[in-house]
Amino acid sequence: MSNKPVYTIPIGPIHPALKEPILFTFDIQGEVINAVDFAPGKVHRGVEWMGMRRNPVQIVHLCDRICGICGVSHTLAFARAVEQIAEIEVPERAHYVRSIIAEFERIQSHLLWAGVAAHELGFDTLFHLAWRVREEAMDVIEYLTGNRINYGIVQVGGVRRDFTEDQFPRIRKALETYEGLVNKLVTLFLEDTTIKLRCMNTGVLTEKDALELCTVGPTARASGLKMDVRADAPYAAYGDIDVKAILPDVYADCIKGDVYDRIVVRLFEVVDSVRIIRDLMDQMPAWPVLWETRYAKILSTCKKAEGEAIGRVEAPRGECFHYVRMNGSEAPQQWKVKASTYSNQMSWLKILQGEQIADIPIIVASIDPCMSCTDRVTVIRDGSPDVMTKDTLHRLSVEKTRRLQA
Amino acid sequence: MRLSPSFNRSLWVFHFNSGSCNGCDIEIVCALTPRYDPERFGIKLVGSPRHADVLLVTGPVVHDMADRLRRVYAQMPNPKVVMCIGTCGQSGGVFFDSYNLDGPVGDVIPVDIYVPGCAPRPEAIIDGVVKAIALLERLEEKK
Amino acid sequence: MTRQALSAEQIAETLQKTGPKSIKDVKIKTWTEGQKKTPVASIWLRTTGESLIATIRAVIDIDYPHLSVISGVDTGDVVELLYHMQVFHGMPGAEVNITISVPVPKKNLVIPTISHLIPGAVYTEREKQEMLGVTVAGIPDPRGLFLPADFPKGVFPWRKDETGIPEGMVKSLYASGRPEDRPLPFVKPKEKMVKKSEVCAVDAVAPSEPDTADASQPEVTTHVE
Repeated sequence: MSNKPVYTIPIGPIHPALKEPILFTFDIQGEVINAVDFAPGKVHRGVEWMGMRRNPVQIVHLCDRICGICGVSHTLAFARAVEQIAEIEVPERAHYVRSIIAEFERIQSHLLWAGVAAHELGFDTLFHLAWRVREEAMDVIEYLTGNRINYGIVQVGGVRRDFTEDQFPRIRKALETYEGLVNKLVTLFLEDTTIKLRCMNTGVLTEKDALELCTVGPTARASGLKMDVRADAPYAAYGDIDVKAILPDVYADCIKGDVYDRIVVRLFEVVDSVRIIRDLMDQMPAWPVLWETRYAKILSTCKKAEGEAIGRVEAPRGECFHYVRMNGSEAPQQWKVKASTYSNQMSWLKILQGEQIADIPIIVASIDPCMSCTDRVTVIRDGSPDVMTKDTLHRLSVEKTRRLQA
Repeated sequence: MRLSPSFNRSLWVFHFNSGSCNGCDIEIVCALTPRYDPERFGIKLVGSPRHADVLLVTGPVVHDMADRLRRVYAQMPNPKVVMCIGTCGQSGGVFFDSYNLDGPVGDVIPVDIYVPGCAPRPEAIIDGVVKAIALLERLEEKK
Repeated sequence: MTRQALSAEQIAETLQKTGPKSIKDVKIKTWTEGQKKTPVASIWLRTTGESLIATIRAVIDIDYPHLSVISGVDTGDVVELLYHMQVFHGMPGAEVNITISVPVPKKNLVIPTISHLIPGAVYTEREKQEMLGVTVAGIPDPRGLFLPADFPKGVFPWRKDETGIPEGMVKSLYASGRPEDRPLPFVKPKEKMVKKSEVCAVDAVAPSEPDTADASQPEVTTHVE
């Protein structure tokens, strides 16, 4: 064991993500990962800096495009921060519209992740199935907001569009579809031998580490950390209904904090989201949905506002945090965006240690870093680099699955 | 002239994210999943540019990725077609004035087909790929 | 260990009692949303760079906090660092957000690291080093984070003074226009006009326009009417 030489493998950075585009460096001894390091910043666009040159009404559209998957979370967090500074009273119905869209976003994001995770394991049938099921949520989002991605529905002081009564049957139909699918999805993902073999006891993150490394969202909850902004510090309409943090013990007997537990948490969050949307629709208050319809008024209110505030939102991947400080000029003096993966990335260092090369794809994907990462790998052997593509790495992963199945 | 038999029902696509918001990337993958299912025509996402006929570029080209984009482009075999997906790769979109961008994509590598939209729908992306097939046919014709 | 949730007022009181003397400007803000108007409290306080560690320790004595992020503001002569953290997380409705604001003078931009107390803080401390030019003393990993390796030294994107982003570094993507060294895009050979009278009637306003538009524009997927 000890006489095996240590290789250094850089992975990346051709990797689709927002702020967590990644160049990984692994120190490998034989098959085992000794040490991990990563360098993000390959997709750093300077969004915060651009925001400090624009006014809040413009920033809302920039927020939508921080991340294409959690499009509503960032906008909602930013709008909440500005509303607190300017003391804008958002109409009650707007809170409900915001929450319903946020929950549909959670459904589509978790199903997206489930598909990617299945793909990383070499289980492409499940990948296609999960993405086909996801289209139902996308259809509803498009039906309600007009867009599949970058919804553009949230704005400072409310939401841009209202739901009408005749739209509710379509929403209910989608919820019924998901309720009918739950058992199938649970069987496919959680009772499958292959997934159990690959995911159980892989990439373990203990509760203590999860807290000390400041992880958020499903990653933290899978380690037993009962943390959910929706329940802990209710925002929008979540204070009106019963929201509980989902821990892996809803399905398994004990909490291990491994990849399997992360799948459990995400799947049962989809189930819970369906219930939350139903509860929200049952008690939707009446019109209006916008505090002020004239942009000029919104702008002048924001311009006069002075102070600082934070907006926190439970995005599908965890806590999304915006800090805004306004000083009476048009653009904010400071705007800090903390996406959820920002907090979760540190956990990679822990959970990848001691695992095998073939497990890299699924472990890296297990915290849901906006997308799977390992697009292209260069293996340096004896100083001469030869290129290892994502395919090769993926093949290693698939081969391991086959070995375990045999 | 039609495409040479090697292209027949096997148009391979490589996807390069140069700093987009993931919206276009998700829609590209969406376009490959069962609802649209272009794989029945042989359109397939591959993991290496060396296998690809079409390069899909998303994003406004972050400084760090500009050189990598050039290298990926150089690695692709001829004839090749570059598609720029999304508004931010064409004019910057909402990221029009940053300090860390080298874009638009057209400044870094030659682009053949633009698919505008933020994010474009999967149908638009597939329509773009169909145009790419037509372009590949013309390139073959010239040879 | 069972955690007993405290109210925001109690936390603020305890912090002032057990924490360092430099804690001042303690403010409690509440904000409500929804029909039931569930109140969510946050504590804002100021301290100094020397007593930052002691303040964080005082917070840890109350409850191990979940550090969200460290943000920073350039306010002229000082750079203000804000440590955002939550205590009593996981207790529905009891969570309190604490923001510790620390002014660091620009003459001596040094702040001690808190990564020995909260290991996850390294990541966000690295970001502050490169974005604001603050030196975090004792940081276990001083490398950059988001900015590219060839980023000019001494430029810090979040600073509002002369070390901020110079206007020359900003590239306006919309203004770059069409590259000139490329071949012109393909133009479809003209088809013979047979039975196009109805179509022409629609286009009669500017009959030559579609051709010129085709010649100067790259091929886009929008359908030609």
